[in-house]
Amino acid sequence: MTEWFHPGLIYLIGALLIPLFRGRLKKVYLLSLPILAFVNLLLISNGFFLPEGKTWVLPFLGYDLVLGRIDRLSMVFAYVFVIASFCMMLYALHVKEEGEHVAAYLYVGSTLGVVFAGDLFTLFFFWEVMAWSALYLIWYRKTRAAYGAGLRYILVHFFGGLCLLGGILLHFHATGSIAFEIFPWGGESSGIPLASVLILLAFVINAAVPPFHAWLSDAYPEATVTGAVFLTAFTTKSAIYALIRGFPGLEILVWSGAIMAVYGVVFAVLENDIRRLLAYHIISQVGYMVAGVGMGVMGTAAGEMALNGAAAHAFCHILYKALLFMGAGAVLHVTGRSKLTELGGLYRYMPVTFHLYMVGAYSISGFPLFNGFVSKTMVVQASAMWHMPIVWLMLEGASIGTFLHTGLKLPWGTWFAKDKPVCEGKEPPMNMLVAMGLTSFLCIVLGVYPKLLYDLLPYPVHYQPYAPAHLVSMSQLLGFTFIAFWLLRRKLYGERTITLDTDWFYRFAGKWVIWFCEKPLMAFADFVDEKVMDLVHFLVWFSRNPAAALNIKGKELKLKAGMLVSNPVGLREYERMIEEERKRYPGELPKLTLGASLVLVLLSFSVYLILYLLVK
Amino acid sequence: MKIKVKHLFGVLYGCLFLSILAGFFVHLYLHPEVHFFWERLPVFSAVYGFIGCIMIILGSKAIGHLWLQKDEDYYEKHE
Repeated sequence: MTEWFHPGLIYLIGALLIPLFRGRLKKVYLLSLPILAFVNLLLISNGFFLPEGKTWVLPFLGYDLVLGRIDRLSMVFAYVFVIASFCMMLYALHVKEEGEHVAAYLYVGSTLGVVFAGDLFTLFFFWEVMAWSALYLIWYRKTRAAYGAGLRYILVHFFGGLCLLGGILLHFHATGSIAFEIFPWGGESSGIPLASVLILLAFVINAAVPPFHAWLSDAYPEATVTGAVFLTAFTTKSAIYALIRGFPGLEILVWSGAIMAVYGVVFAVLENDIRRLLAYHIISQVGYMVAGVGMGVMGTAAGEMALNGAAAHAFCHILYKALLFMGAGAVLHVTGRSKLTELGGLYRYMPVTFHLYMVGAYSISGFPLFNGFVSKTMVVQASAMWHMPIVWLMLEGASIGTFLHTGLKLPWGTWFAKDKPVCEGKEPPMNMLVAMGLTSFLCIVLGVYPKLLYDLLPYPVHYQPYAPAHLVSMSQLLGFTFIAFWLLRRKLYGERTITLDTDWFYRFAGKWVIWFCEKPLMAFADFVDEKVMDLVHFLVWFSRNPAAALNIKGKELKLKAGMLVSNPVGLREYERMIEEERKRYPGELPKLTLGASLVLVLLSFSVYLILYLLVK
Repeated sequence: MKIKVKHLFGVLYGCLFLSILAGFFVHLYLHPEVHFFWERLPVFSAVYGFIGCIMIILGSKAIGHLWLQKDEDYYEKHE
């Protein structure tokens, strides 16, 4: 056990002990867990613990569960998750709700579990813990909207989890192996295995690839201010990690990623809620990573550039997106508002928040000297190396949209746009500002000195982000985007609307199911019910005096037959007679003597006996 | 405040002009590796940024207004 210690376990065990601490000690404790995990990672990197290989192998039903698969890829993701969790916890330090901290650390710990999982069962276990622990970060907002969005979130993730489990079982059945390696994806002779399709679907749902993305833009903006900051990082980026492990170089991902990058941008134009706008830009940015995975054909220079790009962009994205959500969250925390139509002119009250937010905005837009520039351009460069002109244009186009919204529309509408502030405001609590400051610092450090990041990447990096041509083209792109924004800025004011997305289908699916139950299904049930009750009533009536009843029914039949052939007027008398008989029914019942009753009983017994013998 | 914004715009226009000049300089003297024909145009990124931005705004707004944007209580109303 001493050759390695699982960094995720520090969070998972640590989370359970949170309620034991109070006051200042609790804050120290909360911040010490990520530090401990970071030290642990440093020990792994520097060879004090096993730096590469598989460890913590547990026998399970004759198979080996691998809790620790350590290599460069898992380490780069582990580093960023741990670093980000420190910044995020610092941001959330003022939160009194203990359960929220517990949920957050279970979420971080299970994500690290996914990152180090070397087999599919371990992956599945942590995958599920990740899904439901994140749910509490949404539900702790304690609003009706958060409750609904959380429910939809978890239903989608249960679906994804079941796809994963089904895929794992089929994969296991077909190959006899539970190792988490590259999944088979057809060849020239064989088709695509269903197992791989299901597993890919599960990964793609967590990566929020359209049309399976709506859970993200639905749920994240409804989460708590601090919970949303955690949510931005882990689910989608652990899915990117899983895609790199399982499906590198899968061409369909290139196109999915490119479409995703543009899709998020289009929806961000229409969005009024600032956190939902940023959520759409998570989808857009994860699109670059998905495209990178798709271009990541192993063993080629362009493929390694693409995989490096995907990992690097995940690293940078986690930091700047957390920073952006921190900024938007600070506005929500202070003003209680998150809609552009209700914000404006806050620069007077919150200049520090504004400038720190802008560091995130410059980073996501890929300004030189900020971290987005050194990672996003790697994926774009990979698309150029593969000579995919349309993908290249889509990714560059998404860069324009990213700057337009996160860098211009959102800050303009929140901190400026109106001459007078629309509401009171002040800077958020100190811990939030410090957390934003620290995250900004990291964004800038990585942008200025990308070697820090490049040294962590899975493959050797042969890329110069600060080549003059890159610098010039990026400056032109961003500068002229600004000019176009300035000309059209009045078109970009928020509108009091919501935007339909693919969650429309499952939001209304419930309504359709209920309609189906209430209308056609109930009509059918009523019909059956009525007929059965009619039959019961008839039988009750009939059994009162079967002989008389048969008599009446026989006469009625005769009457009906008569009506068909002769004049109904002549039959009136007969009809009245039947009516009389019906009224008298059941009439005087014949009284049986004891002997006659016994004969009847014996008769029925003998009939039963004969039937019994016949059937036997 | 007014003067400040004016100055900022002056600086911005200066930077844009410089970036165009730098584009010509880079392409004429440094001959960077190009993968697509449009990368040979020294001002391609400027044009793409400007036109792309306008297209994104107008295109998205058109989709939104014609189809996707609904009243805020859309889902409550239809529940």
